[in-house]
Amino acid sequence: MPRDADELLDLLDLETIDDDLFRGAQMPTTRPVVFGGQVAAQALVAGSRTVEPAYAVHSLHSYFLQPGDPSVPTIYDVENLRDGRSFLTRRVIAQQHGRPIYAQTLNFHKSEAGYEHQEPMPDVPSPDDARPVGRRARGEEHADQWDVAEIRRVDALEDDPARPARQRVWMRVSSPLPDDPFWHTAAFTYLSDMTLTGAALSAHGLSFASGEVFVASLDHTIWFHRPFRADDWWLYDQHSPAASNGRGLVLARVFAREGTLVASVAQEAVMRKVRA
Amino acid sequence: MNPTEELVALLDLEELDTDLFRGRQPETQRARVYGGQVAAQALVAAVRTVPDGYVAHSLHSYFLLGGDYSVPIVYDVERPRDGRSFVTRRVVARQHGRPIYYQTVNFQRPEDGWEHQDAMPPVGAPEDGFDLVDVMKQGGNAEADALAKEWGALDVRWLGNTRHGLEPDGGHVSQARMWIRLREGLPDDPAVHLAAFTYASDVSLLGSTLAAHGGNPAKTQMASLDHTIWFHRPFRADEWWLYDQWSPSAQGARGLAFGKVYTRDGTLVATAAQEGLIRPRHDDYTGPGQA
Repeated sequence: MPRDADELLDLLDLETIDDDLFRGAQMPTTRPVVFGGQVAAQALVAGSRTVEPAYAVHSLHSYFLQPGDPSVPTIYDVENLRDGRSFLTRRVIAQQHGRPIYAQTLNFHKSEAGYEHQEPMPDVPSPDDARPVGRRARGEEHADQWDVAEIRRVDALEDDPARPARQRVWMRVSSPLPDDPFWHTAAFTYLSDMTLTGAALSAHGLSFASGEVFVASLDHTIWFHRPFRADDWWLYDQHSPAASNGRGLVLARVFAREGTLVASVAQEAVMRKVRA
Repeated sequence: MNPTEELVALLDLEELDTDLFRGRQPETQRARVYGGQVAAQALVAAVRTVPDGYVAHSLHSYFLLGGDYSVPIVYDVERPRDGRSFVTRRVVARQHGRPIYYQTVNFQRPEDGWEHQDAMPPVGAPEDGFDLVDVMKQGGNAEADALAKEWGALDVRWLGNTRHGLEPDGGHVSQARMWIRLREGLPDDPAVHLAAFTYASDVSLLGSTLAAHGGNPAKTQMASLDHTIWFHRPFRADEWWLYDQWSPSAQGARGLAFGKVYTRDGTLVATAAQEGLIRPRHDDYTGPGQA
């Protein structure tokens, strides 16, 4: 897994096999399955390769279908669902061993003006006053494979009894990306699959590190509102409205450090008790 | 037939072949197909191909082209996954040989696990709300009467939005709330309630993106781009449910809206999300595909 921005860009630089057909490489990892953010980001790159630069991705919806095998590359097959004047739609199937492991649909929009509003950023301590978290902070073995992301947790949340499951972290890509906004979109997509389920677990005194819980992403959705730099701090403000039937849903807002709402994210995940 | 029975009939598809279905059109005075109808018919098509014991827990979809109200819609179902715990279906809705809508539906075999939910906000009773069609008429919506007929099965009581009737909320800048139910009783089959709810879920979500603005929905070109529902817990669509909607962001002629769905006893039963096109209306507009 990539340890800095350069390695992440290498991972996202897909090989073109034919029109609308791409191959994504793997990087060494100790994980038994491919990290979901990698599949989501590589699929986004594949879909984006098939559209004119005047169109920017504004949303993606996706389902994880099978665990990815980190020992073989992933094939990305792009289907053109629509070429409209304002909107383009692509569907990307990620496959391995002849089976679909992930399906993503992307929508692209030609820039135009319209109504503007956004919710304000909550009042939170700056990243400098937040606590480093993640596998490296916990001193885990092989933690360096997550080094492309810097994550700092905001510990104090204002009281909100109506919303029992929340979590806030500051995140950024740990080294500089090129200025092209597309790479910030792709790098953000990679990082966006980290920490999210923690918001649903937080209501139950659980975390990934506790070893009591098995977690797997079911779907992953991003709405891109405004361009931003993924290598500068952004606030990942996460909230889980519901958990039931072994699943938890998390909605998240992404704010650039100066307060611009730059993206919204939604993810549902399986959360199961690990059998002793 | 009463309007609710007509809706149940509309959502009862004809099976053409394995995994291939046809949905008819309602009598409508509007020269377009209502997105909630396509979403609900697609969900029904997917449900028909799934073994007993699996329940739909989420759907994600994109609207591609404006539907043609004069011909039926064909729903073609693919089977991307048949797992032990989870089953996935993808439905293509098409007309004139072209896809107008894609929906992916995930099904789960019910299991136990951790439970939590947001609390229902304090709101007025459905009886205190305003009839949504009356609200639309007062807003100058020329389609209000036609919508009242097409949505005859739905009882929608508007409680207010950010500009009218709702308390200011510093965290949410664009909000709207309403109670909704099917006017008459539905059959007990839970799948019918999911489909009827899906039909109703597209009525008002995008409108909440304009609640922060003076913009008149009737004079704004509005088209749903995507539609997403997560079903948390079973519920009856023919008993009142609160649609608590908010829009975190609008920019670049698009607005995003979320809706939390509570039954009257305060149980959070579903969450919906929709992004839509919101731009000043042009007379030649015919649908998102031509946009």
